[in-house]
Amino acid sequence: MTDYGHDLLFGTFVTPSAQGAGHVLDLAVAADRAGLDLVTFQDHPYQSAFLDTWTLLAYAAARTERIHLAGNVLNLPLRPPALLARAAASLDVLSGGRLELGLGSGAFWDGIEAMGGRRLTPAEGVRALREGIGVIREVWDTDTKGGVHHRGEFYTVDGAKRGPRPAHEIGIWVGAYKPKMLELTGAVADGWLPSMSYLPDGADSLPGLNARIDDAAVAAGRAPRDVRRLLNFMDAGPASSADWAEQLADLALTHGISGFIVGGDDLATTERLAAEVAPAVREIVSKER
Amino acid sequence: MTNEVAIELTLGELSLDELTALTRHAEATDLDLVVLTGEDALLDPWTTAVWLAGRTERIRIATGRPGSPLPAVAAKALASAEALSGGRVLVADPAFVRLPARSTDDVDGHAPAVHAARRERRLAHRRPGIAYDDLPASLAATAVEPGDPAYRGASSTYLRGGSPGLVLRPRSATEVAHAVAFARGHRDLPLGVRSGGHGVSGRSTNDGGLVVDVGALDEVEVIDEEHHLVRIGPGARWKDVAAVLDGHGWAIGSGDYGGVGVGGLATAGGIGFLSRKHGLTIDQLRAVELVLADGSRVRASREERPDLFWAVRGAGANLGIVTAFEFEASEVDLVGWAQLVVVVSDLADGLRRFGEVASGAPRDTTVFLVTGRPQRDQAVLQLYGMVESADPEVVIERLTPFAEIGALARQQVVLARYADVMAIAADVGPEGHRGYGEPVTRSAYAPRLTPELAADTAALLDTGLVHFFQLRTMGGAIADVPADATAFAHRTPDFQVTAMGADRTGLDAAWDALAPHFDGLYLSFETDPRPERLHDAFPPPTLARLREIKRRYDPENLFRDNFNIDPQEGPHD
Repeated sequence: MTDYGHDLLFGTFVTPSAQGAGHVLDLAVAADRAGLDLVTFQDHPYQSAFLDTWTLLAYAAARTERIHLAGNVLNLPLRPPALLARAAASLDVLSGGRLELGLGSGAFWDGIEAMGGRRLTPAEGVRALREGIGVIREVWDTDTKGGVHHRGEFYTVDGAKRGPRPAHEIGIWVGAYKPKMLELTGAVADGWLPSMSYLPDGADSLPGLNARIDDAAVAAGRAPRDVRRLLNFMDAGPASSADWAEQLADLALTHGISGFIVGGDDLATTERLAAEVAPAVREIVSKER
Repeated sequence: MTNEVAIELTLGELSLDELTALTRHAEATDLDLVVLTGEDALLDPWTTAVWLAGRTERIRIATGRPGSPLPAVAAKALASAEALSGGRVLVADPAFVRLPARSTDDVDGHAPAVHAARRERRLAHRRPGIAYDDLPASLAATAVEPGDPAYRGASSTYLRGGSPGLVLRPRSATEVAHAVAFARGHRDLPLGVRSGGHGVSGRSTNDGGLVVDVGALDEVEVIDEEHHLVRIGPGARWKDVAAVLDGHGWAIGSGDYGGVGVGGLATAGGIGFLSRKHGLTIDQLRAVELVLADGSRVRASREERPDLFWAVRGAGANLGIVTAFEFEASEVDLVGWAQLVVVVSDLADGLRRFGEVASGAPRDTTVFLVTGRPQRDQAVLQLYGMVESADPEVVIERLTPFAEIGALARQQVVLARYADVMAIAADVGPEGHRGYGEPVTRSAYAPRLTPELAADTAALLDTGLVHFFQLRTMGGAIADVPADATAFAHRTPDFQVTAMGADRTGLDAAWDALAPHFDGLYLSFETDPRPERLHDAFPPPTLARLREIKRRYDPENLFRDNFNIDPQEGPHD
């Protein structure tokens, strides 16, 4: 039994469809009004049917009031870290501390190259992400004097101003599956954000993957609970909200999952998740903890 | 041309609250443009501009280009901001005249100059022959003229670019009457009437003329649960109608695309996925309310003004602007929704076989065909349609003969609500339609899809003159209605045929040669401007009766843009 003891977050995974921009915003606003904690959008800039996820995050943040927003996950190879850090801190300030930063190392290199990004090997991609996270934290660190100076393997920053200071501690959540990415997650990230459907053995993969993150965290002098564990689900769970809540509560209590992000692009699912499933999961988990 | 005048807000100089408050104040003061500057400020200008657009409704926010070193990513950010905000986020033009503001007093102080500049710009863009200043206040509040920011989204339609001199957007039947009165004062100008803006032949935009856009009249309301009576505004989209009716287990068949507006389709015919079972869309119509050329508001049904009711069902564009339709919806449960791609080696043979299968199918089954220019040794037939049955076995049984027309390359068959199928149509954002040019189409009714027609069609498609060729299957309940029951007289053909091309002269010549196979045309899909097309749309008895009705209801021919029945022509009594 693993439970890192985090409060539970419930959110949606909305397809950033360029054709239906109005519907995308409706789904974000519905999640906010329903009282969910998170609305997230995938980021594939080379996919012509999708909106630019950064621009969408900024616009959706302006149209909502309480909900937190995140890329799920943002494509670092196409979003240079110093600029992304400044944009992210700006949006966190504008939205009153509602931005979280989901990050990925990039997967579709043909698309990335077609948009003008640099093709990296998977191993390089992991190193670039680690370096990028360092740059991002530097830009956010407004307590240190002087500009940001960084000369690394992938990024060079020469005296960029620090700031703006984020309105809250923006969580850096990493989409990770392979050992090196899991190690990076444990060592430097605030959260782990994989998708259930990409886990090789579904929930049965979780103990092994969690252990890698835990070990890396400890090796880096951190505690396993410094890394929140979130999970994307492409579709709604069982038709019975009680059954669905049982499933999610089991993931929370057995595997320490504390963020549940559900896709499907469906208003009814958004409302059911907020009104029926989330309260039931919270009740079960608080009883068992 | 005068330059645009913008309120300039400098990042770094203003707090966040001030930034939002000043932008909102500028919007409330009826200013239309803010420029964000301060590139060396900490706050990212692009993110801030998009945020401010999200916190406002009408004002445009200009700033520098999105902060990405990758031009493709920056271009995508710009396009996305445009889609999300309805074109309100833009890259600042160096030609903008910038008036810096640090307080609401500054904004107020600049307002007269901005308003004066805008008036000047509006005047400079106005078209001759339109009495813009005579517009009644009710219409002026929502009207769009060429110098207005909203003009770009109001000038084009789905398939057609345009540059009208004035777009009137009435919000009620009374305002429609005001718009008609205004149009009467401008008889020499083109007059377009727009519901959803999807018209192929219906010219709901023009160059330098008037457009009456009834898009705001979009209510869908059940008025009699027991008799399934629904009252629908002309500006509603069929997908919205379907969504409301779905809650009652009902549907009204329309065409094949849920984005189309109610008004244009429901005054012309409506050949869709439910027609073989329930008839044309106009066959489910029970009453209309319309504004006539003299500005009067009247109701027409079988009991009241039956002649007008007869004429509206097939030739409505000639008689007035419908402000409300009353339909009797049908009970429709789950339907089988099919999209099949079939490859055939002999296009003529494939068309002929489709003709047999589609027209021989039971009434619950309506399948349409779309194809284009065949490749060297094969043609791709896209078949899509509906089986009105919730029983998967019936659905499969009905569709199997279609799948066997050739090699089945792709198939998607699902049980769905009719509303789900209509909902496939994309939403049109506040940026409006973006059509350009003029569509080149021809339409015809094929009484039968004979081997000779199939062969001649295949030869036509081989020329490449037609890039979109569609067969809409008719028959069934459409043919139950007598030819003289409505102004839609072509009741008995097996198919409505549409061809779309790019070369007007070439397509007309080729299509004219097919005339022996055809009997009449569906006016909605015909864009040939030659006057004899009117006689294809309306057979002689229908045309004679329409002309007599036109003489009574629109004697001075105000409504003349689309398949005009000139009251002055033809024999007088």
